[in-house]
Amino acid sequence: MITLTIDGKKIQIEEGTNVLEAALRNGIDIPHLCYHSDLSVSGGCRLCQVEVEGYDQPVTSCGMACAEGLVIQTQSERLTAIRRNLIDIFLADHPLDCVTCDKAGSCLLQKYAYEYGVKETSYIPIYSKTLYQDDNPFFIRDHQYCILCGRCVRVCDEIVGVHAIDFANRGFESHIATPYDGPMIDSSCVFCGNCVEVCPTAALLPVSRLKRGREWDLERVDSICGYCGVGCKIEYAVKDNEIIYAQASVQESVNGSFLCTKGRYGWDFAVNPERLTQPMVRRDLAYSLGISTENWRLPKVSPLDIDKPDVDDYFIPVDWETAYEIVSSKLVDIVKESGPDAIVGLASARCTNEENYLFQKLMRAVIGTNNVDHCARL
Amino acid sequence: MQAFGSGAMTNSIDEIRDADCIFITGSNTAEAHPVISYEVVRAVKGGANLIIVDPRRTPLVDHATLYLQPHPGTDIYVFLAMMHIIIREGWLDEDLIQSETEGFEAYSEIVKDYPPERAALISGVPEDQIQLAARLYALGERAYGDSHYQDARGHSTILYAMGITQRSNGTDSVMTMANMSMLCGQVGKPSTGVNPLRGQANVQGACDVGCLVNVFPGYQRVTDEKARKKLVKTWKVESLPAEVGLTIVEATHAALEGKVRAMYIMGENPMMSDPNTNHVEQAFRNLDFLVVQDIFPSETAFLAHVLLPAASSLEKDGTFTNSERRVQLLQGVIAPPGEALPDWAITSAIARQVAIKMGKDSASKQWEFSGTAEIFDELAASTPIYGGMSFDRLEPQGLQWPCPDQEHPGTPILHVGKFARGKGKFNPVEARDPAEKTDEEYPLNLSTGRVLYHYHSGTMTRRSAPLHWREPHSYAEINPEDAAVVDLKDGDDVDIHSRRGVVHTKTRISNDVPPGTIFLAFHWRESPANRLTQDFALDPVAKIPEYKFSAVRLEKPSAKRNN
Ligand code: SF4
Ligand code: SF4
Ligand code: SF4
Ligand code: FES
Repeated sequence: MITLTIDGKKIQIEEGTNVLEAALRNGIDIPHLCYHSDLSVSGGCRLCQVEVEGYDQPVTSCGMACAEGLVIQTQSERLTAIRRNLIDIFLADHPLDCVTCDKAGSCLLQKYAYEYGVKETSYIPIYSKTLYQDDNPFFIRDHQYCILCGRCVRVCDEIVGVHAIDFANRGFESHIATPYDGPMIDSSCVFCGNCVEVCPTAALLPVSRLKRGREWDLERVDSICGYCGVGCKIEYAVKDNEIIYAQASVQESVNGSFLCTKGRYGWDFAVNPERLTQPMVRRDLAYSLGISTENWRLPKVSPLDIDKPDVDDYFIPVDWETAYEIVSSKLVDIVKESGPDAIVGLASARCTNEENYLFQKLMRAVIGTNNVDHCARL
Repeated sequence: MQAFGSGAMTNSIDEIRDADCIFITGSNTAEAHPVISYEVVRAVKGGANLIIVDPRRTPLVDHATLYLQPHPGTDIYVFLAMMHIIIREGWLDEDLIQSETEGFEAYSEIVKDYPPERAALISGVPEDQIQLAARLYALGERAYGDSHYQDARGHSTILYAMGITQRSNGTDSVMTMANMSMLCGQVGKPSTGVNPLRGQANVQGACDVGCLVNVFPGYQRVTDEKARKKLVKTWKVESLPAEVGLTIVEATHAALEGKVRAMYIMGENPMMSDPNTNHVEQAFRNLDFLVVQDIFPSETAFLAHVLLPAASSLEKDGTFTNSERRVQLLQGVIAPPGEALPDWAITSAIARQVAIKMGKDSASKQWEFSGTAEIFDELAASTPIYGGMSFDRLEPQGLQWPCPDQEHPGTPILHVGKFARGKGKFNPVEARDPAEKTDEEYPLNLSTGRVLYHYHSGTMTRRSAPLHWREPHSYAEINPEDAAVVDLKDGDDVDIHSRRGVVHTKTRISNDVPPGTIFLAFHWRESPANRLTQDFALDPVAKIPEYKFSAVRLEKPSAKRNN
């Protein structure tokens, strides 16, 4: 541990930490666009410059390691002038579309332009990048908003490990691209959307959120991913009982700032029209119980061999009370005739602990059998 | 597990990034557990060694510093040879073995019979690669850079998944991993241990709370009279069943014989996920009563008598327990559709009515709950490893079991200083070959598993528009050599035959599978892989079916076929 001073505040931190990180962890926000705590340092945006005691010129704080006794100032007139000018230059190549932009409210460029009072660019605007790529249903790439911070390139290489995208061309032509600017699906991209998550601007956006509401219209709910056993914490952005998009939760979590494609994009199953929405009884049972008058028989053909089996062909809807009555009397009749071990319960790795707990308790304490299993093995 | 005393990850996920050496076997981590693969990628980019042992070339192999590709079903010879070398070269941790373990003598006698020459001959992995893997793992050597830890020996961690457990000798393989970690003292410290990665969101929790035939909540054996007596009190019942119940596959057989007459299935789809689908279907048709409670009309639902509509994980509160034993809070994000209800509400309503109909009116009162927090409190009182947990303690980041009392901070690393079962036990394990043999008629091996964009039996992901777009139809991965034999090209229609049935799909010709092996995921209803798998040779202890090895042959579909 070493001690340094930032804005008059004494800070203890592990040796090797950079000054920007030390400041951020202690609630001091130094403006930064290209730096991300989980990625390597690029030093490209220069917005994070600070004054260091004993140095004539400002230094980029993301590139400076903390050292014992360092004294840092994150705000000064000179720094404000430098930052204003940098933002001014960014805005010369970034349309000021904030009034219609889906990223407004969580865009870092907008945030710093606001904080430093840069209303428009003083340079002649030249929009160097115009490509708009919507070649997949996960995310769009709208290059005009790209500030070439390189976060997406680094996350794809350093965290996801697939290196699907990189800087292409130089100077005015410079942009982020897949090999030969081809569609995403022809690259090694795994559609994890971590590039979208770390992108500070509207250059990368989830398709699901386009024109579906602005940041301040959305509620946030944190929950746990329902897919694999990693247990990532996901923040869902919700409007009127609909999920608009999902991203990694800002709370402490197993997954930190990242998710995979299923957790980030796979939640729309919930609103698929095939969802079961009411209890149902199979037509032959309904007939024998006098609920239906049609004498129906279960087809011999396997449901797997029917292209799109329709549940209404097989079942009729009933209310919950009827369903509970049928299930409980059938189970009890069989226990009375053949004993509790004639009943088997299969619980689920998709259900909660509470649900699985109650399920096994029903089998054991009420019905009286240990025939309770689930697909742990499968 | 038998070696250490519990069946979960010994260590935590975020420790992986600080490991010096990572050993992965039987896990397609990048596709089945992507966020864990990110930790592995980080470690490797920082200089850790990554050893992967897998017959199939998984995407993470691109980052491996050492890749061993044994013939299918022969990896156990490689593991035994690694341990043979470690003992021979003196890379073992004698202090730990002396003071904290038992059974080393018998075990090391067996390992003597598995020299690397033998493993190389059987598995096809060169001896020098086995030697190198043994050294890197045992000593925790890095490829470059400084260790996060100051110990004499670097820290090595083992990650594995169903690639080694879904075999008729799965338990042996798991014990082998435990043996290897104890042998080298790579356990009980950060960034070490034996870490099974769990396939589904709450497999760990379902096991923890007792949805297994032989244990009550918290792994208390049903055959243990003391455990029964305690629970009889907690649950206010007269008695509890003392015999081990029937597992899924056993229950299917019993249903075929008419011994099992009714099943209540909550959120599972055995018609897609269980081995030998034709058997499963006959068994379900033979039942007098089948209730399926699910979010979609699954393939299994079409054989049910009653369907109960459940809320999905996005529509309810409660807790899930992840692979690293972390109990975490779920929050409802949206409302369930129509009349669908959370599973806990449905199950307790059924329990109340069953109790009344069985003349246990007073018991029915125990099934009134105000919400999930109240159920969790009862769960915690019945499950010693969750004993100190309650909803208010689970914010913000959950708690890792064991957490026996309210002061306990949870347990990120198991077996620190002492093994959970007292002494760590070396289990003598011999190599055994897969139960089903290939022959002239069925010359190839079929291995089933997962692809990145889909999940389990596909009921959810195949109804997600973006995921479906990325991977719309089924395919089987086939090595060019095997494809050439029957004149198949990439994207052709193909029939896969096993002794149990036929499945129709398309080819994806790829060098990622070795010659002789076909890979088919089990997500596809139009190509239900489990029509091909067998249900006769279960692992004797864990009763896991052999999904990773079935004998098959490829055929070009007959011209008559028209779908
Ligand atoms: S979605 Fe993931 S894999 Fe694809 S470019 Fe972005 S970070 Fe890379
Ligand atoms: S796309 Fe976004 S993250 Fe990538 S370089 Fe452009 S602004 Fe940065
Ligand atoms: S986001 Fe991906 S890695 Fe994380 S729990 Fe969900 S499926 Fe698993
Ligand atoms: S954040 Fe430091 S240079 Fe961009």
